[in-house]
Amino acid sequence: MGYHLRKVAFYLAALWAAVTLNFVIPRLLPGNPVDILMAKLQQRGGSVDPAARQAYETLLGTGGRESFAQEYLAYLGSLLRGDLGVSVSAFPAKVSDVIGASLPWTVVLVGLATLISFALGIGLGALVGWKRGTWLDSLVPATTMLAAVPYFWLALILVALLSSGLGWFPLNGGYDVVLDPGWSPEFLGSALYHGILPALTIVVSSVGGWLLGMRNMMVSAMSEDYVLTARAKGLTGSRVMIRYAARNAVLPSVAGFAISLGFVVSGSIVTEQVFSYPGIGSKLLQAVQNNDYALMQGIFLVITVAVLGANLVVDLLYGLIDARTRDRSTVS
Amino acid sequence: MTTLEVRDLTKTFHRHRAVGGVSFTLTAGRTVALVGESGSGKSTIARMIARLVRPTSGEITLTGPDGEPVPSRRYRDHVQMIFQDPFASLNPFHTVEHHLARPLLLHGRTRAEVPHLLERVSLTPDFARRRPHELSGGQRQRVAIARALAPGATVIVADEPVSMLDVSIRLGVLKLLDRLQREEDLAVLYITHDLATAQHFSDEVLVMHRGRIVERGPGDDVLLRPQHPYTRQLAAAAPDPETRFLQGGPS
Amino acid sequence: MTWSGKLGAGLGLAGLIVLFGLLGPLLTGDPATIRDIGLTSPGGDHLLGTTIIGQDVLAQLTHATRGSLWIGVLVGVMATVLSGIFGIVGAYAGGVVDEAFSLFSNVMLVIPGLPLVIVIAGFVPADQRGTWTISLVLAITGWAAAARVLRAQTLSLRNRDYVAAARVSGEKTWRVICVEILPNLLPILASQFVFAVVLAILSEAGLSFLGLGAADSSTLGTMLYYAQNGFALQRDAWWWFVPPGLIIALFGGALSLINFSIDEIINPALRERPRRRRDVVATTPAVADEDAVLTVTNLNVVYQGAAPVHAVKDVSLTLRRGEILGLAGESGCGKTTLAYAINRLHRPPAEVTSGSVVFDGVDVLALGPEELRAFRWVRLSMVFQGAMNSLNPVTPIRAQLQDVLRTHRPSMSTSDREARCVEVLRLVGVDPARLGSYPHELSGGMRQRVMIAMALLLEPQVMIMDEPTTALDVLVQREILNEIKRLRDELRFAVVFITHDLPLLLELSDRIAVMRDGEVVEYAPAEEIYLRPQHPYTRQLLGSFPSLTGERGALIR
Repeated sequence: MGYHLRKVAFYLAALWAAVTLNFVIPRLLPGNPVDILMAKLQQRGGSVDPAARQAYETLLGTGGRESFAQEYLAYLGSLLRGDLGVSVSAFPAKVSDVIGASLPWTVVLVGLATLISFALGIGLGALVGWKRGTWLDSLVPATTMLAAVPYFWLALILVALLSSGLGWFPLNGGYDVVLDPGWSPEFLGSALYHGILPALTIVVSSVGGWLLGMRNMMVSAMSEDYVLTARAKGLTGSRVMIRYAARNAVLPSVAGFAISLGFVVSGSIVTEQVFSYPGIGSKLLQAVQNNDYALMQGIFLVITVAVLGANLVVDLLYGLIDARTRDRSTVS
Repeated sequence: MTTLEVRDLTKTFHRHRAVGGVSFTLTAGRTVALVGESGSGKSTIARMIARLVRPTSGEITLTGPDGEPVPSRRYRDHVQMIFQDPFASLNPFHTVEHHLARPLLLHGRTRAEVPHLLERVSLTPDFARRRPHELSGGQRQRVAIARALAPGATVIVADEPVSMLDVSIRLGVLKLLDRLQREEDLAVLYITHDLATAQHFSDEVLVMHRGRIVERGPGDDVLLRPQHPYTRQLAAAAPDPETRFLQGGPS
Repeated sequence: MTWSGKLGAGLGLAGLIVLFGLLGPLLTGDPATIRDIGLTSPGGDHLLGTTIIGQDVLAQLTHATRGSLWIGVLVGVMATVLSGIFGIVGAYAGGVVDEAFSLFSNVMLVIPGLPLVIVIAGFVPADQRGTWTISLVLAITGWAAAARVLRAQTLSLRNRDYVAAARVSGEKTWRVICVEILPNLLPILASQFVFAVVLAILSEAGLSFLGLGAADSSTLGTMLYYAQNGFALQRDAWWWFVPPGLIIALFGGALSLINFSIDEIINPALRERPRRRRDVVATTPAVADEDAVLTVTNLNVVYQGAAPVHAVKDVSLTLRRGEILGLAGESGCGKTTLAYAINRLHRPPAEVTSGSVVFDGVDVLALGPEELRAFRWVRLSMVFQGAMNSLNPVTPIRAQLQDVLRTHRPSMSTSDREARCVEVLRLVGVDPARLGSYPHELSGGMRQRVMIAMALLLEPQVMIMDEPTTALDVLVQREILNEIKRLRDELRFAVVFITHDLPLLLELSDRIAVMRDGEVVEYAPAEEIYLRPQHPYTRQLLGSFPSLTGERGALIR
């Protein structure tokens, strides 16, 4: 099996595992989510007819009325149809609509912040590694500390300093609420302005990890024979650093992207909460607080699919930047 | 008399035949050299004899000093191996004492034999307390030899035992092996890529090429009067200052 | 900071925080007690002020630290055990077990952890969310990365010869894992444990901050949750929300410092070096022999450090035009250091402390950085031992040949560059179609030929070859040697050939220098060395190689 096929197969397996986890969790854990949901639905004035009940049971379990296999098939069926149920916290909106409205905010925020952080961390890490034995070494312990700061706490501090204190940025939200969401320049400008602090939080908290990893790999790469050869060839310093040392040192960072992305996504969820950002992380918490199980499950699934998709793209890219992987036969 | 007979030994890895139909016999008091380049399958044979790799087909039978076949569970009392890289074959975490005491205990002997073992490989008893990183390459390989002797082995498989050592100490280690073979009546399989030492330290030379034995016989015959084209090539490839300076050959 | 400095600072800081969490609660009293009207700023009675309902922040902080540490340790232990089972056992067992375990770890790794924890926490009714439940959930979602690291390490350890040796001596499998493999995994296990603790404290803090933490515990995250909901931020009550986060950051930072020093203990290459010094400290006035292309006079190289190592001692050599000079010696004799110093490739802490290197009238040790760069490869090229590792593994051969031309012959046209690359590959007998190949697609012999082709690109006067054939098989070695001899005869460059293999040098070189402990102990024409060696060490080396053509028992001389 080729490298690309193996990767796609692996992520399909991971996706199946996530979907199944999503199915199993509400059925194995204590409590009776369907009853809670129905009660909530009643409070909101929704219909409590058997059809609504059955829809939730497909998602969360029938409490033993149907066999596990039957439930599982019904669950997979509704997933394939894109039917994630009805949200009770945003009743009568469908879960898929709630997610559709909040997902773009998170994808843009987390996506951009991650790209910036990755580029910054890799670039600085390469430089710090290359200039070993200079003042840049003192960045290492400082960054170590930075990498251990909780995202949400950093968010609190930034808000206290830059929003409450200096008034440079808005306290919270994703855009100025007087504006109508749309593609107008005012709205986009406002969204950008509101996005700076959350993005800064994510970048500052995650850049340290990339930087340290890259720096260490850079130091290792610099003792490799091919870097020595490159120096003996009389190549310019920048060429040796970029084409030879950094080009090789970056590989483990790319290969380890999956692990790091998981941390970033986890951190972003909490960060969104601090900023009341209209993204999917805030929605997830709203869902948890309101026992909106259908929304909870839907969001978990969407986050997982997004993370798996991003990792797949990175893995396929890895195949492009390291020719050796295409000839190897091990699984991921 | 201890003999280890290898009959029609074959090993296939993922459809690639590493060793194909190899047969030979190791006898007490004799050294057999197995010569070949990397990838010729010689290390795979060593690992099959040491029971680290299972043969695809073929047989390895061991006859004890009493002329009786040795049962499988007693096999390791008799057959031991010396590895190529003494920097990798000793566990950096443990002392020399551990490396020697474990095989002694596993084969019904006692820790008290450690000093004696060290003596047999010309090391002083105070080496027992040291750890591998405190030893030179030659000393490590002596410890590895002592470990192979510890169970009371009568058959020793030495897989490139000196190729990772500095040149000036190689002969010392080989001479030690040679002495032990003679004094203790061991059957030795000496695996090497070096024709010259194979010729000097063995009674029989087997030349391996692509998993098969292409030529065999007494060392002087095989290497001074090679028959197979591959053996001839090998013999001609070795550096040869003599022709240049002693026989007026091309410079 | 050195690694021991980092370890000391990390251990000290982490120790202080642990003490704070252990002993603090005994000194500060009940954190729930309401002491004043609330939100008093730090002062005499309350060192860290009070919360909105008048509880002492310091008392809360000590209890919360204890709670966070306890969960961190719980999760750390559980996650490390899980990763050990899936990483170490799987890798040692190999085959289907390993495939399955590794697939499982990888799937767990790519499923984002915190969202999963949130969903699980969301389904468990609040009154059933105890410390143990939360810890278990955090452990289950947090072990996979460590398992992957442990698996990789175990896979490499289980193929070590000492593991094979233990099996040959008849050790049982569990004993091989526990006694031979596990102790060597300890540094990595320790670092993974530390990492798991940090991760657990951070995740738990996030979870509690969201109000999803354990109902029966108070941790730093819980404190931040109450601070956030008590509008500490809006009321400028910094003493309420700054300290808990600071403790987490300091503790995490301290543990990361510990991890960092563990990394440096495992991999000494990462250790901090003294600041970059000059590679040449002092030189003596250049002396050059008229018909020599390279003259080395009284060269000294020292590895500076607590115990300086004098690696090259007063070495003087001359290389005549078109000559092959053999440099013989065993590992650690200084021959490679000498070769690097000639081209000033030696790295700190190595320094040239005196002597001179003159290359065809150029005082190499006096060259500025840019002059040195322009000198390298144009006048003097090198072929290194590890043909395996001397080529950049991620770019094709073409790019590696071309960047020499691009740098040193900037005016050359693209087609001329390509033509030159094709030409040199033909010279060394490699099919030019291989230009597009990656190094791993070539055999060892072919890679070494490519290296030689690269060394020929700019037609240098001198080539330094450092054990160019040592890693190769006998037959390939012979081919490469013949190739070198032929090219030397055709192109008339001079060679410094470095090896431990004296018979090879005797066959190949015009003159030979024998090195030991940094000194040249004998320096004479090859024939003299062979027929009339003067130094006892030269005789010892000669005696180390049995002769192939002699009868059994005869050594080379």
